[in-house]
Amino acid sequence: MSIFFKSPIDIEILFDNEESRKHVDIAARSSNSSYKSMKESLPVYEDGESLGGIVTLRVRDGKKVDHLGIKVSVIGSIDMIKSHGSGNSATKKPTSTTSSSSSNGSIDVRKNSVDQFLCQSYDLCAAGELQHSQSFPFLFRDLSKRYESYKGRNVDVAYYVKVTVMRKSTDISKMKKFWVYLYNSIATASNTLSANELQANSKGVASDVRDADDTTNNDTLKNSVQGGAEDGNQVLPATHSNNEPKPVRLDIGIENCLHIEFEYAKSQYSLKEVIVGRIYFLLTRLRIKHMELSLITRESSGLQTSNVMTDSTAIRYEIMDGSSVKGETIPIRLFLSGYDLTPNMSCNYFNVKNYLSLVIIDEDGRRYFKQSEITLYRTR
Amino acid sequence: MAYADSPENAITVIKQRTVLMNRCLSQHKLMESLQHTSIMLTELRNPNLSPKKYYELYVIIFDSLTNLSTYLIENHPQNHHLADLYELVQYTGNVVPRLYLMITVGTSYLTFNDAPKKEILKDMIEMCRGVQNPIRGLFLRYYLSQRTKELLPEDDPSFNSQFIMNNFIEMNKLWVRLQHQGPLRERETRTRERKELQILVGSQLVRLSQIIDDNFQMYKQDILPTILEQVIQCRDLVSQEYLLDVICQVFTDEFHLKTLDTLLQTTLHLNPDVSINKIVLTLVDRLNDYVTRQLENDPNSISSKTYSDVDVFGTFWDFLTVLNHERPDLSLQQFIPLIESVIILSLKWYPDSFENLNKLFELVLQKTKDYGQKNISLESEHLFLILLSFQNSKLQLTTSSALPQNSFNISKKHFIFQLISQCQAYKNILALQSISVQKKVVNEIIDVLMDTEAEELTENESESKPNSSGPTSHLVIEDKVQVQRLLSICESLIISRSGPAPNVASSDANIDEVFFNRHDEEESWMLDPIQEKLAHLIHWIMNTTSRKQTNKNNPRFSLEAQLEILLLIKSSFIKGGINVKYTFPAIITNFWKLLRKCHMIKEYLLKKRADNITLLSHYSNLSKQMFKFVSRCINDIFNSCDNSCTDLILKLNLQCATLADQFQLNEISYDFFSQAFTIFEESLSDSKTQLQALIYMAQSLQKTRSLYKETYYDSLIVRCTLHGSKLLKKQDQCRAVYLCSHLWWATEISNIGEEEGVTDNFFRDGKRVLECLQRSLRVADSIMDNEQSCELMVEILNRCLYYFIHGEEAETHISIKYINGLIELIKTNLKSLKLEDNSATMIANSMDELHITGEDNMKANTNSDDGSGNIDKDTNVAIGSDGTYIQLNTLNGSSTIIHGVVATTSGSKLLHRLKYIPVYHFQRTCEYIESQREVDDRFKVIYV
Repeated sequence: MSIFFKSPIDIEILFDNEESRKHVDIAARSSNSSYKSMKESLPVYEDGESLGGIVTLRVRDGKKVDHLGIKVSVIGSIDMIKSHGSGNSATKKPTSTTSSSSSNGSIDVRKNSVDQFLCQSYDLCAAGELQHSQSFPFLFRDLSKRYESYKGRNVDVAYYVKVTVMRKSTDISKMKKFWVYLYNSIATASNTLSANELQANSKGVASDVRDADDTTNNDTLKNSVQGGAEDGNQVLPATHSNNEPKPVRLDIGIENCLHIEFEYAKSQYSLKEVIVGRIYFLLTRLRIKHMELSLITRESSGLQTSNVMTDSTAIRYEIMDGSSVKGETIPIRLFLSGYDLTPNMSCNYFNVKNYLSLVIIDEDGRRYFKQSEITLYRTR
Repeated sequence: MAYADSPENAITVIKQRTVLMNRCLSQHKLMESLQHTSIMLTELRNPNLSPKKYYELYVIIFDSLTNLSTYLIENHPQNHHLADLYELVQYTGNVVPRLYLMITVGTSYLTFNDAPKKEILKDMIEMCRGVQNPIRGLFLRYYLSQRTKELLPEDDPSFNSQFIMNNFIEMNKLWVRLQHQGPLRERETRTRERKELQILVGSQLVRLSQIIDDNFQMYKQDILPTILEQVIQCRDLVSQEYLLDVICQVFTDEFHLKTLDTLLQTTLHLNPDVSINKIVLTLVDRLNDYVTRQLENDPNSISSKTYSDVDVFGTFWDFLTVLNHERPDLSLQQFIPLIESVIILSLKWYPDSFENLNKLFELVLQKTKDYGQKNISLESEHLFLILLSFQNSKLQLTTSSALPQNSFNISKKHFIFQLISQCQAYKNILALQSISVQKKVVNEIIDVLMDTEAEELTENESESKPNSSGPTSHLVIEDKVQVQRLLSICESLIISRSGPAPNVASSDANIDEVFFNRHDEEESWMLDPIQEKLAHLIHWIMNTTSRKQTNKNNPRFSLEAQLEILLLIKSSFIKGGINVKYTFPAIITNFWKLLRKCHMIKEYLLKKRADNITLLSHYSNLSKQMFKFVSRCINDIFNSCDNSCTDLILKLNLQCATLADQFQLNEISYDFFSQAFTIFEESLSDSKTQLQALIYMAQSLQKTRSLYKETYYDSLIVRCTLHGSKLLKKQDQCRAVYLCSHLWWATEISNIGEEEGVTDNFFRDGKRVLECLQRSLRVADSIMDNEQSCELMVEILNRCLYYFIHGEEAETHISIKYINGLIELIKTNLKSLKLEDNSATMIANSMDELHITGEDNMKANTNSDDGSGNIDKDTNVAIGSDGTYIQLNTLNGSSTIIHGVVATTSGSKLLHRLKYIPVYHFQRTCEYIESQREVDDRFKVIYV
């Protein structure tokens, strides 16, 4: 914390069986590209799992340290870039926010906690004096974790254990992050989402006209694929929230130019599943160079009136080379398990949605696309 | 991922990545090696490669992937599981590299028996749909086909065939689609590229043919209908032509035979621009090969008809009928080759069936009529030409009796003859053609029919093995009708077109026509090869009919029948108009032959059965009849040729007269002679021809024997001599008269048993002979030209010596005194000739050397001329019986140059030489007299 003033106590937090636990590599997220390669490996916990470990306090050079008590707490918080909370930032482009984040990467300093949905703490020891190194076990039994950990562009869902040595002067504290996965079944996934779906979907249709691919800046040549309004409604997962998946069929077309049928097996996928579908060509006057299927993760943060949306392309997958003709069927098979995907999430402050985007690039380089929402959820 | 900018760089990249890939494999770093492979495969995404370049890259990559596949197979399952890898490679972002990897892994997996083979195969072929670019798709699917070649499940042929067919169908679609890509102006480039790629598609059909082996049931029920439907559906010209060709080529003949109707039906539904005839021809080729092989295996199979359960011709015929009905748009250019193909087939399968051919020709006829005769374009004319003259190289003619290979021409000869005599439609088509085509065709036919080379060949052969090829070596004309047909075919050649024919004036007046017209107008005696051929044909027909028939069922033609045929020929050739002058002599000659035959029969009858008067009178009537026909023929020539060939007519008349004389038919003979005289008097105006004609007449007359009765002979020879003395030129008069002197001095004809000294009733009248000689001497003496005069006198001297030798003085009235007087006269004249000459000394020189042989004379000549040139050295000059100078080339004595008038500069030397002619002639005569002294004492009193 301070260069001039070394902390008199070294705090080390070790989770039980940490080495043998499942870990995930999380990119030390920052928009500064030089840190993209930096990864931290975090142990994974799930909802309801007990969280225990040992806190070791080491006192430097045999000094005595007086303290007012040592406290361990587990915290889950939603962090957002603060400016977005206020109204006028809605016009800002999501990508234009430049980073001023600190380099240590433990917690994005741009992001401030907007909601601490989890905060449990208890004292490890009463006020006293620390003379030598001392270890304290801690345990949060059957800890419920409401949200899955998330590291987005504007929003994070972060979990950490914090050990604080309270003193008269500055408190000494140490945090240790861990990662949380929430495993769902289909039913629960749809249930958790059902509240927001209607709204979100209408936005999704409206947002079709926008460029889905944030990697290109060529706005002038963008053509939108006109999806019928009724098709948009069909996409609604709410209409078939039961467990039995129904194939999704989309009629997509540009009048007198292109007419295709985009079909995939269902609208909800676990992250380990395979998207299987097909494209049926009813009319092609377009000289197609190739066709891609992308998976777009859309993060929408902030309050209703001023939310900020950020799209990121999680998968780009070429499914057709060359131009097809009427009557042809192009198979689609996309394994999801190999990719690092974010399941759908939703809470008051933000939500994460996934879109399947069909992109057609013609021989003149024009791009045509159609997005349709799919629900991703994590299964064990 | 990006690809290299040029094919060269691409190859470099591929090779580098291959090295890296192999290195990683050797270190068991599979993931890295797959990455390199994927980068390498990215080169196959390059859209700017021509098919050839793409193929180059493909080949290199194929080898690299083979390495990878070997590794994958060797390390499964200890280092990895191929099922996992199959999923893993599907994460590849780009579709082309992904699919190559999938196929590589998938086919590696297929080598293991526990792999779910069918599922993998199905999955691979299904996923291949992701590549819709024609070139890349074709190569990808070709890769799939190559990789799966040995790995298809063995126990399920129907699955395998479905798999390959599926691949084939998709490949064909891609291939067809290639045509429609890119800008219109590159259309031809596309077509070319497609042809380069066709082998990829064709290879699938080859695979199919390997898979099905001899499973006909599957072929007929599943494979063929599917393929054909695909072919029809794609409606693409290049594809349809190529694929049907491949189908015909790769599957066995037996299959084709059994599915013939299906195949043919298919061609009805093709793109209208597809040349059906090519396909049909391929099919026909296959079927013909089949027959050939059957024949090789078992030479009797045709006769035993082991495959007769299929009516091949019937199927083709039905097809043609339907085709003609459904596709009236087919032009003759397309239709004729088609028919031709079927003809080829029919000839192979049913070599003896001319009904089939007749049917086919009828169809052509109908089709031609539909189009209208006028619309036969030049190209189709050419087609007709080939069709009708059977020039197609594929045409294999075999007759039922197996002929040796080299006797193709003979079989063709037989075939064409049979065709002419049996196929009415053939003739009708021929008649529809333009004259020039007809001519060419008929020409061709006649050539074949009279191919003597082939005839000789068989004769040689029949000597070696008389039993086998004997009956087939010669054509057999069986009856009059055949002759009639043959003649009617030839009509186009026979008929002369006097005046410009209406169609000649139009555009199709080719060189041939012009030639003929000019020819006719000039009425010259140019050699006409066609008419000559026709004359040849006449002889050929008559020879064929008179040839001894080996086959006992066809008895030899009787004289009457031959006469009938000849009359048939005559009535046909009379249509030739002016051309009869070429052809009728041949007919007349054949009449003469028949006459001689008739005479022989008569002689025979007289000897053996003199009592059978009716038969005798029949034959004498017959010969009289024939003479009448001949006379008619001669009149026909005269009538149709006006004055152009009086010489010919004269000679024919004289020949007839001679013939009649030989048969003791004096009346007829006299008639012909009088005809000849009439011609001479009325039509012969050229003095040179007149002399020749007179000489010819005199020769004929001198040999006659039957005319002595009724003083026919007397009046004729007097007339002849009279004509001779009335010739225009004095030389001619002189020569004619001294030649006519022989008319009063008949000599022996040993053929009819005459012998000098034995026969005593020769017609001889020495007085008249002498008169003639005296008269001619008078004429000779009165000629102004001294050389000519001397020469003629020497000639007369020679005649005198002839009579002197051949008869007693009392008989011939040629006395020694007369001869000596003549010699004296000649000498005087020669001297005055000498005086005329400036270089008298030279003459004297040569006169001094009179007794030197000819060779020395030559030397003397060259000396006197100071060696003025090779021509002089090598040439000698003589004088012909008609007074023309003949330059003898002593180098090769055969060649003679006739100088009617010597006027050229080189001729002036010659002119100088002419003076020596009478000198030399006289000199030779004197030598003769001197040499005769040794055998005949009478000559001793002749003074030289």
